[in-house]
Amino acid sequence: MKKAIALSMAAAMAAVSLAACGGGSTAATTAAPAATEAATEAATEAAATEAAAETEAPAAEAGDFTFDKTVNVYITHGAGGDTDYMARMLSQALEEKLGVSVVCSNVTGSNGATCMQQYKDGDTDGYTYICSNTAALNGNEATGMVDFGYDAFEPVAIYGIQSGENIVVPADSPYETLDDLIEASKANPGTIKLGISTGGGVYIQACVMTNLGGAQFNIIDSGDAATRLTALLGGEVDATSLPYSTVADYIENGQLKSLCTMLSQPPTLLPDQKSASETIPELVIDTEYVMLAPKGTDPAAVKAMNDAILEVTSTDDWKQKCNDYSFQDPFVLNLDETIENLKSQRELFTSFKEFL
Amino acid sequence: MLLEGLMAVLQPFTIILIAIGTVVGIIFGSIPGLTATMAIVMFLPATYSMSASQGISMLMALYIGGISGGLISAILLNIPGTPSSVATCFDGKPMADKGEAGKALGTGVVFSFFGTLIGIAVLIVLTPVLCDFALKFQAYEYCALAVFSLSMVIALTGRDMPKGLVSAVLGALLATVGLAPIDSKPRFTFDLFQLNNGFALLVLLIGLFAISEVMAYAEGVRKDQSFTVDNNAKIKGAGFSLKEGIAQIPNCIISALIGVGIGILPGIGGGVSCMISYTVSKNISKHPQLYGTGIMDGVVASESANNGTIGGAMIPLLALGIPGDACTAMLLGGLQVHNVAPGPLIYEKSGAVVYAIFFAMVIAAIFMMLFMLLGMRFFVSVLKVPKNYLLPVVLVLCAIGAIGNANMLFDTYCMVGFGLMSYLMIKSKIPTVPMILGFILGPTFETNLRRVSQLASSDKFWSHPIFCVLMIATILVVIFSTRANLKEAKRAEAEEANS
Repeated sequence: MKKAIALSMAAAMAAVSLAACGGGSTAATTAAPAATEAATEAATEAAATEAAAETEAPAAEAGDFTFDKTVNVYITHGAGGDTDYMARMLSQALEEKLGVSVVCSNVTGSNGATCMQQYKDGDTDGYTYICSNTAALNGNEATGMVDFGYDAFEPVAIYGIQSGENIVVPADSPYETLDDLIEASKANPGTIKLGISTGGGVYIQACVMTNLGGAQFNIIDSGDAATRLTALLGGEVDATSLPYSTVADYIENGQLKSLCTMLSQPPTLLPDQKSASETIPELVIDTEYVMLAPKGTDPAAVKAMNDAILEVTSTDDWKQKCNDYSFQDPFVLNLDETIENLKSQRELFTSFKEFL
Repeated sequence: MLLEGLMAVLQPFTIILIAIGTVVGIIFGSIPGLTATMAIVMFLPATYSMSASQGISMLMALYIGGISGGLISAILLNIPGTPSSVATCFDGKPMADKGEAGKALGTGVVFSFFGTLIGIAVLIVLTPVLCDFALKFQAYEYCALAVFSLSMVIALTGRDMPKGLVSAVLGALLATVGLAPIDSKPRFTFDLFQLNNGFALLVLLIGLFAISEVMAYAEGVRKDQSFTVDNNAKIKGAGFSLKEGIAQIPNCIISALIGVGIGILPGIGGGVSCMISYTVSKNISKHPQLYGTGIMDGVVASESANNGTIGGAMIPLLALGIPGDACTAMLLGGLQVHNVAPGPLIYEKSGAVVYAIFFAMVIAAIFMMLFMLLGMRFFVSVLKVPKNYLLPVVLVLCAIGAIGNANMLFDTYCMVGFGLMSYLMIKSKIPTVPMILGFILGPTFETNLRRVSQLASSDKFWSHPIFCVLMIATILVVIFSTRANLKEAKRAEAEEANS
């Protein structure tokens, strides 16, 4: 009897310890070894091209901060999505560079607002970071989901750009450009059904098209990307906006066609796409991946982290990952550029606020 | 391409990954509070650095193991390990109480296996046809489907119908907490940002089933009782005879197909499929009165259905790139990071990976059955552990699961709160299971009703045949179930009067 109890207790303890790492630590550490190989390879290459001395230099400048314990990264969106993937790729590379563990945890919900709310006043010792995307950061403020913007944090770095969202219609629809679509909606107000998800980036797009482009769509809520795709394929809506990665194969297959991208510049590897801003100048959603630190974090730590990010993203390996995953070249900004970029994006989003 | 897929899976390393995935999945599934979804969340980032076939094989093994493992705690502890095994408790626990724990486990395991295989078979053979069907389900159809599924509460609760409806409505009301669908207006959040996302199904499930089970046990703890449990530890083979098994085949096929059907429709999931197939199985059975007393039929219905859902959920995921539940949403991510884009071109572009997925699923199903049948003797010995040692451990695991779900301590408070609520419900004889149905289907109904109201100006309901059929079916279910319930009540009254 005692043996059975001991046995079950042991099993339970094992399960506890297993689950205790459920936050992602096991995941991050198990993923590390394989990535390590790739990173080392790339790092040696980078070291060869850029002078070895230069790699040392920024560390010496920021010198007042050395990472000597586990860094916690909180990801605002769920595992499997692009925000998660980019954050984990970055964390793997940083782990190699900083020489300490970088543990990723997903704290999801409300388009990232839950996580940001929870950690904006987190530990300021330089070991807590939040990885999100700029559309969520600025969009949630513009739509009133949260009452704080990027300045409630210490921005660390913008470290990538998404493949963008595209306005898509069925391939047999008569529209070829965003102009066609908007003109058609003006000609027959309320007949073209545009699928959106209220409150998100697509909602902002729809509001801009209505208020600044004069479009007169019948705006229908069709939920998240998956249900918007269903609605478009099933004919419930006539047009919607979807991530390019979701619809790429449908476009190639001849079932759907893309009218334009929401990015200000088409992705590097997809130069033929038109930008929505050609039709409506304000219609720009540049979703970039951003790392933030809680307000009041040691500036030396923020600088040291930004330096580390700039370094680990300058490798060919990183370029390959960005090319493969988001059809983009690496897009990484230093501290000043990051703040400048967030500021201008926020101004744009704030200008939409009146009609959101 | 078929061969290429087979070769990719038949690598020793991949096989090991599938075996590990299955075992870890079963452990996650069997521990209340840890679910298949969590297992996948935890291992998904680890697959980023594997090859596409290896990564997705492991994730499929976790998925199949996780959905199947839930039956262990459902049968032995009366606490469903995952939402998908809620209905397994109905007959599994009474079987265990009768000393047939081994038989119940064996039945659950073997029919989980057949359920998975039926799901995979449908996935391989009928994907193109069923894709078109899945695309026909839009706002109108989902709305009607939610109403139809909710009408099952009447059949599920039998004579306790009014209390069952109370429970379902309470569940639907609980689901309104958080940001409203469509317009994202906060409802009942009391300015707590932790409530913006509403309550997690997992947290509610733990509260309803685990906490209340512990409290119910605590009631009797001062009473004199012996800890010896007669569990007929001699288990031969799968615990049931071949003849008994064969008799369940029609039940298994019907239930698995219901599971597949619900799996195909994004957003409904295994939790609903096991309850609906249990209800259907009960209603078409020749001996409905025996359901709930501990018969194989109930376990077979629930377990074939929830495993059938796996194959069903893979259909829209692979062929349309549309995930059906939290698990498949993560599988989608797991495929995309390997540049495998689920959608209309997946067979042309990544055919080898698709076939690798099919083979991995079959291998994982076989491993699942082997490991669970081998482990059965050990699982049953859990019953020998005095519950005053066992249940506190279970409670701690539940709390860890609740925190791990979204990395929020707040969820454990909710869990305890739901536990107290559940205890009061049990005391007032309100069944807790309809609450789960209400909780899952309430938001589906609300969201789609609101979408329908936006569509209704240009799109009328009579152009939606599936909607009309489902609504008529709902009316019929309500009429016939109510009549059957009344008859049963009368008969019971007469019996009471006679005695």
